[in-house]
Amino acid sequence: MTDHSWKEMMAVVFAREIEDHHKITSGAHTEIFFAATMLAQKTHAPNLKLQLGGSVALCNVTDMEIPELPKTSTGYEILRYAESIHDHADTFLFYGAPGGADYYKNPDKYKDVNHFWFADKFFVGGIQADKWGNTNMIGLSDGKKMTFRGPGTIGINDTAIGVVDQYAFITAHDKRRLVENVDYISAPGQKIAREKQFNGNGTKWIVTPKCIFDFDPDTLEARLAQLFPGVTIEDVKENTGFEVNVSDALSTIEPPNKDELEVLRNEVDKTGVLRH
Amino acid sequence: MSKSKRREVVASVEEAASKIESGMTVAIGGFGADNHPMAMVREIIRNGVTDLTLVGSATAGLEIDLLIGAGCVKKLICSYVGQELYCPIGHNFRKYSEAGELEVWECSEYTLYAGLFASASGSEFFAWRGGVGTSIPELNPDMVKFIDPIGGEKEILAVPPIRPDWAIIHVGWSDCYGNGQHLGARYGDRWLARAATRIMLQTERVVPNEVIRKNPLMTTIAYADCVVEAPYGSHPYAAHAMYKEDVEFIQDYVACSAANRKGDSKTWDAYLKKHVHDPKDHVAYLETVGIERLLGLYTHPTITW
Repeated sequence: MTDHSWKEMMAVVFAREIEDHHKITSGAHTEIFFAATMLAQKTHAPNLKLQLGGSVALCNVTDMEIPELPKTSTGYEILRYAESIHDHADTFLFYGAPGGADYYKNPDKYKDVNHFWFADKFFVGGIQADKWGNTNMIGLSDGKKMTFRGPGTIGINDTAIGVVDQYAFITAHDKRRLVENVDYISAPGQKIAREKQFNGNGTKWIVTPKCIFDFDPDTLEARLAQLFPGVTIEDVKENTGFEVNVSDALSTIEPPNKDELEVLRNEVDKTGVLRH
Repeated sequence: MSKSKRREVVASVEEAASKIESGMTVAIGGFGADNHPMAMVREIIRNGVTDLTLVGSATAGLEIDLLIGAGCVKKLICSYVGQELYCPIGHNFRKYSEAGELEVWECSEYTLYAGLFASASGSEFFAWRGGVGTSIPELNPDMVKFIDPIGGEKEILAVPPIRPDWAIIHVGWSDCYGNGQHLGARYGDRWLARAATRIMLQTERVVPNEVIRKNPLMTTIAYADCVVEAPYGSHPYAAHAMYKEDVEFIQDYVACSAANRKGDSKTWDAYLKKHVHDPKDHVAYLETVGIERLLGLYTHPTITW
């Protein structure tokens, strides 16, 4: 096993989800998604259409040097990687065909993929996520009033209607954050996405420091699909606030390989922001 | 030469701030840690303005949190208040909203734009799907659900107009006629400006009209009602193509506002005194920051022509 941090592993796990013909919007927060998307462009997805920088910049870093990962989503450094900078309201509008080299060689293969929705993938944070994949950025409630004011929904519900797959990301795995039902819904999961006829599918995964939940296609409830190395099923069950169903296809996440780590450390995250 | 003469709109920070009165609806531009009109914000606080309805940018930063903590704000129209990794949730935003002392018009980024667009276009509402299936319409009864009237069955939200009395926007430069150009990302500033009754530009430099005419494609906000020159006017936040954010200064803000949330109002009052009330004007404020520190924030211009 290679020696790597949890953040590096996350960046690699998300990078593997990205394909060359994708469009991605990575909004605010977290260097992990900057790293994942830039890593994908520098390895297997050089044509990835990527909105960064408060999502107002279309960035391609395939042939660019990255001295340091941006610290904020709006940092001026991001302008260096940009090929276009638009009004923020444009962020939520369609920005072109799937792209990618293969799309133009084998158009038939892409008949059913995202032609008109504004992005294929989006990463959403949350102070809570529930077994339906709903996430909450609004706040916590005692049933009568808001007792904890969250940061606000930002644009995640605006992306939810049109992004193909959203990935909910919870930075600590415990019963307070992973709950039966969230107190407020800021981005809906698969059940609501289906009921309300969204173009997108809703939440594809809930990712925590311990594991990845996917969703049972019949019940649309979360189920334990992948464990990070060293984590047990019991460990997940003990720390989750809803009953944990385990997928028949449960697997352990493949740690970053040598090649992935090499590009990540030498070309994307030179200063080691993700290493600690 | 024509006999007529154009109206020039350049004003001092003090003159401009005197137009912002208690009870008004005011939009504050910028985004995240960038391009906030801080010289104007500080002067508004010094003037003791209260009961503002603030329209923050889609990803508002701690400029809104500062105004809340200084007691200026009654109602907030905004989809986020914080500074990402520096401060995931604004502390004064939390303190006042949890205590029920701040009314929050719950919205998301695009429902905010929908309201701004409804205002800018003179429409009764603007329709948007985002927010359907979330708690936003429950928390914000101003948004009304309806069913697609063009033969569909999908739920849609009607978002009513958001009409600021003033939009205060920071730009890289502007001429004396109120033609401003962003020298970096403009984020949601054009939409805030278009929705507002009147526009106030805070600019790093007032430049000759010829500079604007050299590249009118770059003019993001034209014919503002008021132009205020304030070099380093976004400090402690970044101004794209000019300077980056002052990380230590922001961290100090975060610590002092966190103290306030936890009941230590002394620390917070001392912060306000030192950085807002004591400096008599913008230049005095910059002096307290210090030349060495300000020059250390310089960045290479990103956009030139």
